[in-house]
Formats: sequence, structure tokens, C-alpha cells
Amino acid sequence: MAKLWAIIKREYLERVRSKWFVIATLFGPIFFSAIIIVPAWLSSRSKATSDIYNTTILDATGNGFGHRLAVNIAGDSTVPGRMPEVRVVAPSLLTPAESTATHEVMDKEKTGYVVVDQQTLAGESARYAGRNATSIADMAQIKSAIRETILASRLEKVGLDNSRMKEITFIPLDFSTERITEKGRAGSGIASVMFGFAIGFLLYASIVIYGQTIMSGVLEEKTTRVAEVVMSSVPTDTLLAGKVLGVGAVGLTQQIIWIVTTYVLLQLRAPIMAKFGAPSMSFTLPDISLGAGLIFLMFFLFGFIFYSSLFAAVGSSVNSESEARQAASPLMIMIISTAVFIQPVLLNPTGTTARVLSLVPFSSPIIMPIRMAVIGIPPLELTASLGLLAIGCVAALWLASRIYRVGLLMYGKRPSLREMARWVSYSR
Amino acid sequence: MTEYAIDIVNVTKRYAEHTAVRDLTLRVPKGSVYGLLGPNGAGKTTTIRMILNIIAPDSGTIHIFGRPSSDAKVTERMGYLPEERGLYRKMQVKRVLKFLAELKGVKGSEAERRIDEWLERLSLKTPEKDWGLSKVDELSRGMQQKVQFIGTLLHDPDLVILDEPFSGLDPINAQALKDTVVELKKRGKTVIFSTHLMDNAERLCDSVCIIARGEKVLDGTVTGVKEEHGQRNIALALEGDGMHGIASILGDHSLVKRADDSNRFFEIELVPGADPQTLLRRVVESGASIQRFEMIQPSLHEIFLKKVGATGIEEGMTGHG
Repeated sequence: MAKLWAIIKREYLERVRSKWFVIATLFGPIFFSAIIIVPAWLSSRSKATSDIYNTTILDATGNGFGHRLAVNIAGDSTVPGRMPEVRVVAPSLLTPAESTATHEVMDKEKTGYVVVDQQTLAGESARYAGRNATSIADMAQIKSAIRETILASRLEKVGLDNSRMKEITFIPLDFSTERITEKGRAGSGIASVMFGFAIGFLLYASIVIYGQTIMSGVLEEKTTRVAEVVMSSVPTDTLLAGKVLGVGAVGLTQQIIWIVTTYVLLQLRAPIMAKFGAPSMSFTLPDISLGAGLIFLMFFLFGFIFYSSLFAAVGSSVNSESEARQAASPLMIMIISTAVFIQPVLLNPTGTTARVLSLVPFSSPIIMPIRMAVIGIPPLELTASLGLLAIGCVAALWLASRIYRVGLLMYGKRPSLREMARWVSYSR
Repeated sequence: MTEYAIDIVNVTKRYAEHTAVRDLTLRVPKGSVYGLLGPNGAGKTTTIRMILNIIAPDSGTIHIFGRPSSDAKVTERMGYLPEERGLYRKMQVKRVLKFLAELKGVKGSEAERRIDEWLERLSLKTPEKDWGLSKVDELSRGMQQKVQFIGTLLHDPDLVILDEPFSGLDPINAQALKDTVVELKKRGKTVIFSTHLMDNAERLCDSVCIIARGEKVLDGTVTGVKEEHGQRNIALALEGDGMHGIASILGDHSLVKRADDSNRFFEIELVPGADPQTLLRRVVESGASIQRFEMIQPSLHEIFLKKVGATGIEEGMTGHG
């Protein structure tokens, strides 16, 4: 037991101390936050920006239309700096006023200016000129503000008073979208799909990264012959177990740091996103119960043990990094082909593909947690999936430990699959 | 308690294509320096791995200090230096050594104390520079070899197993290793090493075992082996003239079985049962002027060549080195 602990400790400390670990651990939350913030920022490009507040309204209507328009452009904001400036001008003086406003835009004091006149009151035309004239969202916002103001002044003419008018024209519409496919509802919303995707990506990345870490660790011990010294002190099964547990603990440490910091960053997203000029996104992370969290953890651990023991077996059977890459390709194909299904499964988490993939041990550690993030899974299905995965783990460990203890002592040419099959039958 | 450090009885290890070790019986007395000799591929490394319980024999038994080799307590009393050497390259020297010590059941603080002691003893830690704090790959090859010795001996093993310890060593480290082996013996430890370098074996070993093609050819104490298996040769050196008479003496097949003629120096193998004194008398009678007449013992190298035969020797193996 003390020796197993010594191996776990070495694997853990040596990796956590490495520069690579520190960089990846710091980079992770930035990456995950970027995944969330960048789309939000991009989508904010399709919303009106604060540029529209820094405009001038040249009002040649003579009935205060400009002031009402300014209020409508500003929305519910009454902050002085966030309202367009209104200049009431006589129709004859419109041309010089426009040229003054143009110079202000050229000197970057203003973003642009709106011209409203009698034709605007008649609902015929209005003009805008400015640096942001190509921004679809900004223009749409100004256009709809003008429409609203026209509508309001017409209603006023009919005799509606101001408060009634507000009541009628104020429509704070919250437009939520949901996708329906031939199989029914595609998911319970964007947030949980993103969450499921994040989980899938996290599991996929950590299995690939730490599986390969174990593989090259085993290879290093083999090529430097440290393995022989270690094997003269502890049984090979202890060595294998120590490696899988030690590296698994590194992966878990990293994931916990990633999850906690990403969570904190998401809680602080409003100020961060404001820095990028994007309005804060309103979404709530799906509630994860402690039980579900534990099940996620079990899938991670089992999936990790399944793959990393096989990666260790591959590492022990080869003699160089390039051979290892070749020999590991069947494993990589298993993982990558699972990753290919992440999106289809997210779109259709109750389909046959999703159900089958969440029962097969080589794909279930990635697919099942994704499905759990977006829909409720019947306990029976969950138990079957975990049970099959556990059996898969035992089988993988058995196979790996037999290849491992022979492979570590075999130098020379890379073994064929037939030779490896024979190793499995060796007593020791 | 048994008097043997290692007691191997009728051990066989087969692989798919060949039998690596066949019915090997071998006893290494406690406190001795024991050489496992044989050409490459003879089964030395397989034997060593079975002693260390890295691999298990298909049949037969192996006892170390009277206990089965699979006993964890026995593992902690053995120290092993494999043939091709290496360490975790990116790891700090002290941490590597501490790890190796912990695997042998040495507690952390005790390990640290011993590591410092050893590093100082092998001048890897001086007032100017403590190489123990460097990473392994920052050390020269010679220094890495020293670190590896330390790793082998840190837990003060009673049985030290060295697989081809002299291969790849620079002369200074080779000398240090020889000194260490002698010192270990003085302290009552048992040392077993495999080698194909007969000169080293002859000088260092109390006992040897020669194996070839997985089978034991002979074993015993070095003196015993020489007496039993070596023919007693005579070295004869002559001076000046008077060589003519010699040719007829050497040609007498009732007395001389074989003579290696180097003009003025002869190495002569007598017919079994023949008396060297007869030869001496006849050489004196021939009137030759004798510069040297000496009974010489054959070297292990010669015994090895005679027993294993040229066919058992792979290319590049000269027996000298």
C-alpha cells in the first residue's frame, strides 16, 4: 500500500509541478469563458450598440417631435449622456445645420445625425447619416424609434392622452426560441445544450490528453529502463494502478480548477462582458444536484480508467513515440468517433443512436453525461450504462495489465496483434 | 537460516519461440561475489529477472535468503541495477532517489538523510554545487551512472544484483564500481553480477556460473572451476640457440598434447597424466637455455571458450575488455 502510494504521489506531483499543467490549467477557464463570451459578443453585434445614443437629432418639424424621438431612441434610459442631443432648427436653416453635424461626425464628436421634418411627420421619409450607417441593428433601432414616435403623435391627434399612449405602445416582448424536430422537442434550451456540449468536450479532452500522458509516461519508463527497477520493487499491477490513479488525480484536479474558475468567471460575466461592449447575457446554468454530480464523476472516473489502462498497454508494447502514435490509432478512432456523435446526440438525446452509444463502454463515458445534461435519463438506463461501463473497465484493466507486464520487458520490433494476443496468455 | 543468498532449483522459463532458461539449478552462498557468465542471449538477464520476481518461472523454485522470491519482504532486501540504464529525465535527482527508496520501503526522512550522504560520498554534492537539486537530464552520463548506483544501494540491500554492470561505464566509474563491490563484500553483503567480460569476473568473483543457451555449463568457486576444468599448461621461454632439440620434444605425443609455438615462447599442454618434471628434465637435457619454466593456470576466458565453444559466442564478444 505504501508503495502504491509512492507511485501515485510521484505521478501526481511530477505532473502538477510541470509548466505544461500550470499553463493548461490557466488556459482552460479562459478558453471556456471565451466559448461563452465570444458568441454573446458576436450576437451583440446584431443588437444596437451604445453608438446610437451619441447622435444628434436635427428637428425641423417645429412640434417637438425630436424630443420624443430622443426618448424613444434612448429606450427606458434617462441618463443624460445616453440620450441623443436634439437641435430644433427652422426648415430654411437645415442645410447649414446638417453641414455642422457632418463636421462633428468627421471630428468623431458624434456618431451620426437624424434629420426629421414635415415629411417625417407625414410618415413619408427621414434621413440618417453617420459612421455606423452600415450597422443593421443600429439602423433598425433608429427606424423603429421613428416609427413609434410617428405612431404616438398620430394617436395623440386622435385624442389619446399621454399615459394611455405609453400603455398601448410599450411592448417589452421577450422572444424565446425553441427547436422542434420530427422526434419532438430538441432540448430544453440553449443553456443546457451548451452545458452538455461543455461536459462532452471536457470529458473528451481529458480522456485524450491524460490517456496520452499515461501512454508516454509508460513509454518513458520502458525506454529508460526505469520500469525494470520499479518492477523489481513492486508488482506490475501496482505500478499500473499507481499510474492510472496518479494521472487520474491530476486530471480531476485540473477539471475541478476548470469548473470552479469557469463558474466564477460566469458569475462575474456581466462586468467582463461590459468590457467587451457586449450586454450581459441572461442565462442560468442548469441546476446540477449532488447526486447527478456524483454520477458525472463516476462516468469520468470509469471512462478514464477504461481508456487510460488501454493507453498504458499501448505504451508498454512499443519502443518509440512514433510507434506509439501508430499503435494508439485504434483507441483514438474509438474516442474521436464518439466525439463526432456529441452534436447529433445533443440535438436528439432520446434517439436510438444516443441510447445505444450510451450503453457501449467505449462511448458511454462521453455520451451519457451529455444526455444527462439535457434530458432526464430513466434510472434503469443509467444503471445499465454504468454497469456495462464498469464491466468494460474490469475487462480493459485485465487485458491491459497482461499486455503491460510482458510488453515492458520486450524490446526490439513492435509486436503484431497476434503476438500481443499471445502475451495475454503468458502466465507472467 | 539457510547459508544461501540465492537458491534456484530446476528452473525453466519458456517463451513462444524458445526456451530462455532450461532446468537451471544454482546456489549463491551468502556473502560471496558471484559471477553469472555467458554469451549474449544465454539466459543471464532472464535468470536475473526471475530472481528479482519480475517474471515468474514456468517450473522450479527460487528462494532468496530462504524465502520464496515473491515474498515482498525479500524484494526489499534486493538492489538491482539493470543492464541498460536510465532515470526519469525530467525529474529532480533527489526526488528520483527518494522515489526509488520509498519503493524499497525506506521512510521519507531516512531516505533524505541517506541520499545526502551518498551524494556527498560520490562527490555529486560539494559546497559549490548540489547536483541533487538538478534535473536528471542536466547531469553528464557519468554522473547519471553514479545516481543509478545510489538508487541501487540506497536501501542498503543484503543482495545486490548487477546486470552487465561494466557495460558503458567510464574507467573512473568502473573503478568506483569495483571498489563498491569489494566494500559490499567486506560488509557481508552478497553481490551477483552478470557479465561477458571474463577478466572482470576472474578478478572480482569468489564463485561463477557459466551458462549458455539457457543451460548451466559449469559452476563453482573460481579456484575450483580452474582446477577442475582447466588443463594445466606450462609456459616455456628459451634463450639463445639450442632450439633444434626442442622440436623433437614437443613432437613427442606421449608427453605433449598440444604446443602453442611463438618462436621463443611456448605454451604447452601435456598429455593427461604426464609429469611436467619429465618435460623439464628433457628440455634441460636438450641443452637449451631455459629462461622461464612455469606451471600456469588457465584463465576463465580459456575455460569459457573451451566449454561454450566458439559457436556459443556471438560476434563482438572477445572476452577481453
